[in-house]
Amino acid sequence: MNAAGLLDGISAQAIGFAWLRDAVAPAGVYGDAQFGAIVPFVPGQEDEARERAARICRVASVLEPSSLDEVRDVARNVPDASAAVARASMGDPLDDVALLELQRFFDACERLDALTIHCDDLPRTLGEPVRICARILEAGRAGQLGFYLDERFDASLGSSRETLARAQAEYESARGRASAAVAAALDREISLPEFIVMRGDLRGPVPAGVRVVRETPTYLLCELDADDAVLAALRRRDEAAVAVAGAEALVRERLSGVIRANATALDAAMRAFGEVDVLAAAARFTQQHRCTVARLEPSATLVLDSARFLPLEVELQREGRACTPIDLDLAGVAVLTGPNMGGKSAALRTCGFAAVCAAFGLPVPAQRARLGLFADIAWLGIGSDAERDGSLLSSFAREVVQLRDVLARDARPRLVLIDEFARTTTPREGKALVVAAIERLRELGACGLVATHLGGVAEAAGTRHFAVRGLRGILKAPPDEDLGRALETLAASMDYTLEEVSGDRVREADAIALASLLGIDARVIDAAYRAMEPE
Amino acid sequence: MRARIGESILRLWTESGARSLFIVGTGKNVGKTVAMRAIYGACMQEGITCALTSIGRDGEAADIGDAAPKPRLWLEPATVIATAASVLPHSPASELLALTPYQTAAGPLVYARVRDGAFYELIGPPHASNLRRVVRDLCALAPRTLVDGAVDRIAALAGGEDAIVVSCGAGAARTMSEAIDGVRALIVRLRTTRFNGGEARRIEGALTPAIVAQLLREGETRAVVVRDPTQIALGGKAALHAFDRLTIRCERPLKVIAVTVASIGADGAFEPRSFAHDVARATGLPVFDVYAAEYAA
Repeated sequence: MNAAGLLDGISAQAIGFAWLRDAVAPAGVYGDAQFGAIVPFVPGQEDEARERAARICRVASVLEPSSLDEVRDVARNVPDASAAVARASMGDPLDDVALLELQRFFDACERLDALTIHCDDLPRTLGEPVRICARILEAGRAGQLGFYLDERFDASLGSSRETLARAQAEYESARGRASAAVAAALDREISLPEFIVMRGDLRGPVPAGVRVVRETPTYLLCELDADDAVLAALRRRDEAAVAVAGAEALVRERLSGVIRANATALDAAMRAFGEVDVLAAAARFTQQHRCTVARLEPSATLVLDSARFLPLEVELQREGRACTPIDLDLAGVAVLTGPNMGGKSAALRTCGFAAVCAAFGLPVPAQRARLGLFADIAWLGIGSDAERDGSLLSSFAREVVQLRDVLARDARPRLVLIDEFARTTTPREGKALVVAAIERLRELGACGLVATHLGGVAEAAGTRHFAVRGLRGILKAPPDEDLGRALETLAASMDYTLEEVSGDRVREADAIALASLLGIDARVIDAAYRAMEPE
Repeated sequence: MRARIGESILRLWTESGARSLFIVGTGKNVGKTVAMRAIYGACMQEGITCALTSIGRDGEAADIGDAAPKPRLWLEPATVIATAASVLPHSPASELLALTPYQTAAGPLVYARVRDGAFYELIGPPHASNLRRVVRDLCALAPRTLVDGAVDRIAALAGGEDAIVVSCGAGAARTMSEAIDGVRALIVRLRTTRFNGGEARRIEGALTPAIVAQLLREGETRAVVVRDPTQIALGGKAALHAFDRLTIRCERPLKVIAVTVASIGADGAFEPRSFAHDVARATGLPVFDVYAAEYAA
């Protein structure tokens, strides 16, 4: 799944693209081959993108989670037989390992088709040509997972192997006789081709049939010397081995020929296998995260109903906490305000994540979604520092350079998510820059959400204004100043949902209350509150 | 004393109760493969089906490192092997039992059964954890499993119930005393005795020379306990020094059953009988000279 062209690296990281890619990754080699080539749909392909998402949802509704898990197990364990098919198609005779890989692939196809038989949205892998190949290899099945170039392929295999076995026995017998004679002469065991004879043990010359290969002052390193009978038996054995090799090569050539003749169909079967794997992964993702098919429009809109940012939801679930879904109806550019830790960034990421899912033809983690198929999804502001380039640019300068690049890109429609842009410069100039950026994005027809703590931005830019509802009451610091408990207290007190507010009503950021909750000295907190009082 | 070496080691293996046997050498060219062939031959004679594999590479015609000729492995029908698919003999065909997810230096590992006798090369998984899984699989495919091990990969012995044969020889030392010190240090390490209670200082991870030096500085008198002997990362004189001065114990001892000696090296040779005799005295284990077909002690 390749997001190049849709997302730059910084935006991909901020929006959780790697998480999404891992979550919908196929399990096996054939799926991998296709997955890497998946690119986002582009504006104008709304119907295709929607149909893909709808197909995934149909698969998710027809197949039980356990069936999809089994499909993924089959895909995970299937060997890659594509090299075998490629070699056969180029005229290479296949070795037995390649034939076993093919047989395992055929078995996996059969299992896959059986598991998905009731799902019309998934392709079948076993066509007649594949069945022909599977049948011809059947004679080699050895046990449940094995393969042997069995005599059932060709009677000549059996006869040549019998001849070899006889020749081998004759050779061993001849060699055994020679070895026994030497062992008797030396009064010792001879079980290895090389052996030591102590000079002190020799009662005369080295016996016949023994060749000395190395001499030391105390012993001789010897080998058995083959006599005429042994050499003749060895010759017969080698001839029989050559005959077996010839018979086996003929069978392998014949089997490879069948694979070669059906190579096109086998390639198609592997592609179908990969498609099933990719769709099964997406369907399982859809089941696990309760995703829905988005309505896609050729416009810069983003309407989400109970949408979730899945990387955050999964992390919260791991900690036994729940994620608050958000609703948003966005057309054009709007401002988002709210308290610190109130979920502004998460709201922006939710928008980006939903848009990326839709762009790849994936169901969206929301109850309902209606959005444009964006040609460019950009993230600016907090989180942009993730890709530091080691240059001497300050945080502000880096953000400005990114904004410059985003504005220079020629992409329509586009989604721009801005998280506290220009927060590191003076509030007056920062606000001016944010307002100017919003106006430019509006001119470009972008859909965007601009999170900021700067007051008066929405009014100055003449945009709609959303706000996180924020704290429900007064925060109390936990007595033991435990950070985990403080975060739990905050989560329990915070309403993370969004509301559209009129005019430029900006709530306080609840920053001092939050600082108190997180354990700042009470004297500092009191002083901060005093400083907030009007003079 | 004349002896049928393979049969004698097979008997010790049987008495140990282990299903698998690792042959670990003190270095290269110390007769590991020769010892393996002798034990394998004894199994065949007794009608015991064997499974074979190696840590890394073995059974090739010449040593990949120094191009010296190496003993090849002639395997009999019914023998099970775990080796790289790329080195299976093209003919006669082997019965492929299963493809595995494990990789070797020469590509994917397969399990195969020999159908017609042939020379085989064994290239097993190089990583200890994978080798343990392979050994477990082989034990399900054959009553006995033989593993051609390596001195620098004894981590593969961790967590197993294997019998161990140590091979040493002239190929890994310049002098006989150096060879004897080397094998003694390895045996002392592998035969670390079981901790039977009392005051102990437990070592998590490897017992390294630095830790030993610290323990000696601190005058440690309690038992120094490691999980198993493969965690003792000491060799040669450092190992002997540590075992002389500390009470090193382990929770899971290993079963070293015998030593094989090869008095012939590429660059020199030792007097076979005195070498075998001195190794027996230094290790306290049964010692067999696989080339001379003699039992030393």
